[in-house]
Amino acid sequence: MKDYDVCIVGSGAGASPVALTLAEAGYSVVVLEKGPWFTEADFFKDELACCRRSVYTPNLKNEQHVLEEYNGQNDDGSYKWRAEASSDSGSDFWNGNCVGGSSNFMSGYFYRLKPKDFRLRSEFGEIKGANVVDWPIDYAAMEPYYTKAESVVGISGKIIPHPHQEPRSTPDFPYPPTAEHAVSGLIDKACRELNMHPLPTPRAILSKPQGERRSCEYSGFCGSYGCSSGAKGSARAALLNKAIKTGNCKIIPHAKVYQLSSDETGRVSSADYFDKDSAKKTVTAKVFVVACQAIETSRLLLSSTGSKHPNGLANNSGQVGKNLLFSAGGSGTGEFTYSQFDTQLAEAMKQRGPFVNRGLQDWYFIDDKKFGAPAKGGVIDFLFRHPNAISKANGEKWADDGKLMWGKPLKDKLKTVFSETKYLRFEVFNDWLPTDDCFVSLDNAIKDKWGSPVAKIRLGYHDHDLKVGHYLAEKSEQVLKQMNASNIRSSVSGAPPPNLVAGGCRFGNDPATSVLNADCQAHDADNLYVTDGSFMPTGGSVPYTWTIYANAFRVADIIKRRL
Amino acid sequence: MHKKSVKQILCEWDSSAPTGLATRIQERRSRRDFLKMAGILSASMLIPSCDNSNTQSAADKATPSLVNQAPWQTFAAIQNHLFPKDSDSPGAGDINATLYLKSVLELPGVGDADKQFLRDGVNWTNDIAMQMTKKAFHQLSEIEKEAVLQRIATSSAGENWLSLLLLYIFEALLTDPVYGGNTNKIGWQWLEHQPGFPAPTKDKRYYNLL
Repeated sequence: MKDYDVCIVGSGAGASPVALTLAEAGYSVVVLEKGPWFTEADFFKDELACCRRSVYTPNLKNEQHVLEEYNGQNDDGSYKWRAEASSDSGSDFWNGNCVGGSSNFMSGYFYRLKPKDFRLRSEFGEIKGANVVDWPIDYAAMEPYYTKAESVVGISGKIIPHPHQEPRSTPDFPYPPTAEHAVSGLIDKACRELNMHPLPTPRAILSKPQGERRSCEYSGFCGSYGCSSGAKGSARAALLNKAIKTGNCKIIPHAKVYQLSSDETGRVSSADYFDKDSAKKTVTAKVFVVACQAIETSRLLLSSTGSKHPNGLANNSGQVGKNLLFSAGGSGTGEFTYSQFDTQLAEAMKQRGPFVNRGLQDWYFIDDKKFGAPAKGGVIDFLFRHPNAISKANGEKWADDGKLMWGKPLKDKLKTVFSETKYLRFEVFNDWLPTDDCFVSLDNAIKDKWGSPVAKIRLGYHDHDLKVGHYLAEKSEQVLKQMNASNIRSSVSGAPPPNLVAGGCRFGNDPATSVLNADCQAHDADNLYVTDGSFMPTGGSVPYTWTIYANAFRVADIIKRRL
Repeated sequence: MHKKSVKQILCEWDSSAPTGLATRIQERRSRRDFLKMAGILSASMLIPSCDNSNTQSAADKATPSLVNQAPWQTFAAIQNHLFPKDSDSPGAGDINATLYLKSVLELPGVGDADKQFLRDGVNWTNDIAMQMTKKAFHQLSEIEKEAVLQRIATSSAGENWLSLLLLYIFEALLTDPVYGGNTNKIGWQWLEHQPGFPAPTKDKRYYNLL
């Protein structure tokens, strides 16, 4: 007799659709979450809690990563890598370790992938040095679940026909767009003058109440902050709370799973975890689902050896941890002084709360001789500079000559930046090509506070990512110029954004080159599924969360049929 | 106390820093290097360690005389110089910057190495002030203070220490008043900053959530 029908490791966007679907179907579900359980009553617009102290992420001394960065070439042309513990460098690769995971802290920029994203290899051919492959499923298999996420998670938006609009089974979003800022109209005008197609950005934020979740209250502090109204479509607020109400879903916080044990047939037999008091506990279940975000999912599988899995669970082909993905691209800024607008517009520009909600997909696919052969492009999003005041002030303490400022010159600069200037930013999202230089393994020296080896992450990127990023950044800068912004600048680099991570357990039809089959079931372990972003063999050029939600709903239906 | 010259002290910090230290681009990384440097000097420092188990904000129980006691006297003098009061803007004293810094050093949330580094800097600032002027830092004129801080900032280590002090001045200026700084929201008012809502409550400050 098993303790539960289903045991899920992790409680974020990949975990919660499985928990909800199976709990609603009457199956017993346990969710093991490493972090604490916060609710709306714990979330404030507190910059210290959000962003300056490790409240939602572990202390790096207790739990960290080892990051390997490019460090030149050897004589034979091979790359050298320099490994550094994140507790030394301060490079924090955690994203939100609590019930609901990092979806609690997202900005909710939600885009679907497009049909061609499921077959990049076939559409655009090989890119030397990259491991681009087609997915084992097509867009049509995912579409119903993108639609399901729209209504269950609560996605607001408005469909405007444009050249790269993906097919939809419903005419429009179930929730109208969130309230928009005056600058959105200025962006629209500039884009249209440039023959671009400005689009309202879909957001996983309620513009109307849903059940016990209130509508967005437009505080203006969204990304990086937990949501106190319940409007943000986090895994916790949108899905887990509903799963608990069925009476079939139990969530255990402070449960750090350190291994999945497997039996002589190779099937997973138990999830072994440390509880809040660091006592060892064990859970048995018919089916195990791993969804603790890409890096930690690969780490857990690699740490879980057994007689049929000598190199780690589901790793008999050595594929676990390989082809890790981030989001490539970069960002840029332009400045407006309030004095360049008439009084009414200046006041509107000062307003805090409504969303900018504008993006461009005109170059989702690039067909431009100046660029080269037709290629996968990406998405541009416009947004204001993050309103966090301390980080904003702290970024201004360096003078143009690189020296530290203080005294009256510093105070004058702060006054100008805060009260006379509005910063409009853009972010470029394009595919982070999968390569042999970006993967997760186990570090052989550094352990976490429970004694398990930490994940070592090699952070190589493909130069093609920068080429696409620069192309899109240049288009973005054109828009800011058209808007008469000043001091326009942008930065495109191969630095990985830790909050946009996927891959490591790619799904595919060939067990030799993939970890999971098309159902996101491990090739090597019949009762093991992976439902976070790990399954993605290529990333697409949008934030991953909607696709993770949709795929987890898809896999949940598959598991339901088998139980 | 060590008997090194100002130049020796500064050279010692800088010599252990890698060339091309990217202080301005990656503050955290350079702070790490600074901490390594601080380690070299820490044996010569005689700073009492604070009780980290205290989770009550220093501002809750502060006394006005705090800024007359070592090492707060020195911290206050440096903070007031880095962030002076003006006719139309608050200075470090108006935002309780010294009491705020004391609470940072006492509360959980900032790493022990960072805390030690912050504390150690007071002694070597006074050492350098002594070498340059035969006076402790808080006894200096504004012109002398500026000269000492400029001298400190010629080493990447010293510059990084001052930049950390500025960070915590900014925290005192711009965090919610529930943390003891930003008195009567004076920092927000000066910079016309619109804070978000809901604001943190006294029983759910960040360290209550840890």
